[in-house]
Amino acid sequence: MTMQNAERYLFTVADSTFGAASLRPYLPITLTYQGKSITSSGLLDTGAAVNVLPHELGIELGAVWEQATTPLQLTGNLAQFEARVLIMSAVVAQFNPVQLVFAWTQASGIPLLLGQANFFLEFDVCFYRSQSAFEIRPKDSSA
Amino acid sequence: MSVTELLPTLQKLSRADKFRLMQFLVAQLAQEETDGLQPSQTYPVWSPYDAFEAADTMLKALEAQNSNDHAEC
Repeated sequence: MTMQNAERYLFTVADSTFGAASLRPYLPITLTYQGKSITSSGLLDTGAAVNVLPHELGIELGAVWEQATTPLQLTGNLAQFEARVLIMSAVVAQFNPVQLVFAWTQASGIPLLLGQANFFLEFDVCFYRSQSAFEIRPKDSSA
Repeated sequence: MSVTELLPTLQKLSRADKFRLMQFLVAQLAQEETDGLQPSQTYPVWSPYDAFEAADTMLKALEAQNSNDHAEC
């Protein structure tokens, strides 16, 4: 069984040493902030309460830390880093752009995380881990 | 050596040895599942699992921005 009108992606090997044991659901995504766009890979993280933007990615997008004024307190390993709200446009596959809100962290070298608020409020995702694949489509706005 | 070749020998084992063999195989399978993780290493988990206050703040910020966008239309 598959989702209708969905885009299918394969899981990505994160560490070639471990092969199939390191498969992760990375999603190609284009982020646009104030006219500047970057295509990156976001980790679909259903356990993450929020989307997280690594510091260097925000800088590449031209965001200015001092201008992002709403502070956030994150949890886990990210709790030690300052984080602030950053809202931007995002495009997945051929779907229409959506507004995503990120916790822009001072931490670098971490994955771009796509979490519950608000990535999974915008997209429905079906994981087929046994097939090393997942499918994604925009939320059903009529529901 | 294949399982087919092994089976006649395994069938000759005592009940106790069959149990020991079964425990050995289960332990082997479990070890293979976790071979990617080394006990002496630390593995950072970046997911903000229970950052509900942050999620609430972010959703409200998004809502406020959308309200402003609509007001400007």
